[in-house]
Amino acid sequence: MNEFKMYHPLVNFSYFAYVLGLACTGMHPLMLASSLFCSFLYMCIINGKKALHSLAFLLPAIILTSLINPLFNHEGMTILGYLPDGNPLTSESIIYGLCAAASLVSVLCFFSCFSSVMTSDKFMYLFGKIIPSLSLILSMTLRFVPLFSERLKKTAEVQKCIGKGLDEKGVFRKIKNALRILSITVTWALENAIDTADSMKARGYGTGKRTSFSNYRLEKRDIAMLLYILFLGTYVIIGNVSGQMDFSFYPVIKSTPITRYSISVFISYFLLCMTPVIIELWEVRRWKYLR
Amino acid sequence: MKRITVLFLTLLVIFTLTSCNDNTEPVPVEVPAGKPEPVNAEETVITDKELTCTLSVRCDTILDNMSDFDKDKTDIVPFDGVILGETEVVFYEGETVFNLLRREMKKNGIHMEFNEVPMYESAYIEGIANIYEFDCGELSGWMYKVNDWFPNYGCSRYKLKEHDKVEWIYTCDLGRDIGTDYSQRNGKDNE
Repeated sequence: MNEFKMYHPLVNFSYFAYVLGLACTGMHPLMLASSLFCSFLYMCIINGKKALHSLAFLLPAIILTSLINPLFNHEGMTILGYLPDGNPLTSESIIYGLCAAASLVSVLCFFSCFSSVMTSDKFMYLFGKIIPSLSLILSMTLRFVPLFSERLKKTAEVQKCIGKGLDEKGVFRKIKNALRILSITVTWALENAIDTADSMKARGYGTGKRTSFSNYRLEKRDIAMLLYILFLGTYVIIGNVSGQMDFSFYPVIKSTPITRYSISVFISYFLLCMTPVIIELWEVRRWKYLR
Repeated sequence: MKRITVLFLTLLVIFTLTSCNDNTEPVPVEVPAGKPEPVNAEETVITDKELTCTLSVRCDTILDNMSDFDKDKTDIVPFDGVILGETEVVFYEGETVFNLLRREMKKNGIHMEFNEVPMYESAYIEGIANIYEFDCGELSGWMYKVNDWFPNYGCSRYKLKEHDKVEWIYTCDLGRDIGTDYSQRNGKDNE
């Protein structure tokens, strides 16, 4: 259930580069709504039911961010009341908090999609020639985090078998066991790093120019999709730079006037974000039709 | 797995909280002869005795420096630069300039943001009526003046007296445009 993944890495990467960049920088509520909607929908398509589990993490993140902002930011014309410390609570700061939370969550969702679409071999394919050492380091670091947590889990299980798990009684014992598990895992990781270095040296890393094998071919549909993404992305960026998506929260909430041009920019941003979802729906339809 | 994460997060939070604790020593102030000495806001006793003084809040310096002013905020500057005209207000014996400003702004529905600065043992007024420090260039901010003198200590250390004339004025040039010079003062203090 991930047709977009089958496209050329260049298509995948350009999609995520545009979408992540715009989702980070834009603060217009219409823009945030479309990126939040699309990123969550796409995450649901990729992960299925597991995506709903991440709600347990995403919802508190939204609530926390939108609560924290009015606690520290008191700017705004509409005073709703006064906080215990004496500073005003304004509706502008609450709305800003909500928008910041929406932006944060949509970026998180997009990153979750990014990590399952842009696998490390795709990353190496794209950047292995241009920036070989950096892309090697990046892919190793990106791999390190899930590997480390996996090993942490494994170590915890093994320690549990010998009666030194985390569900023992007593806080001190728990801390002691936790530290022991962490220390084992760190040692494992360090040892692994040495192994990796030895292995790389044995295979002649750094002795000459590296060649790389890849299976990716830029097909007709990839080129069409790339042009589609590049066109929409550039159109949205031009609109964004020329101030069509400007939105100011302080001191009064004010959007730049919505014109035909700005509506077209918003629609193209929505279409850009929706690209993988549209592809997915299209493929499902075609599959049914062909059967 | 989850427990380890929780444990480390707690340790991290404790570490951050303890390292955030700023135990800076308060800065001593030298007050020119004949001017009132600063008080300690926590030690003063506020009685029920009602006294009167005058209060005004102005930002006319912005009108002369409109080109430097935050473009999102041009609509909120009053056309004559007066946020609160000179009015006779009631205060209670023992109150400071800060207590007065806070109450009057609340009463008039005017926005005001402050934060407590331990180093000066005083509140610092960041913004009144959504006009904030640094909104009109990097030398801008709020300053206060009592009986035509700009005190060189914070506003929660100035104890009010009967018939005091309190003015809050926005400066765009560290006070030089309103008749004082912040950088020349010995006891470095906020407005």
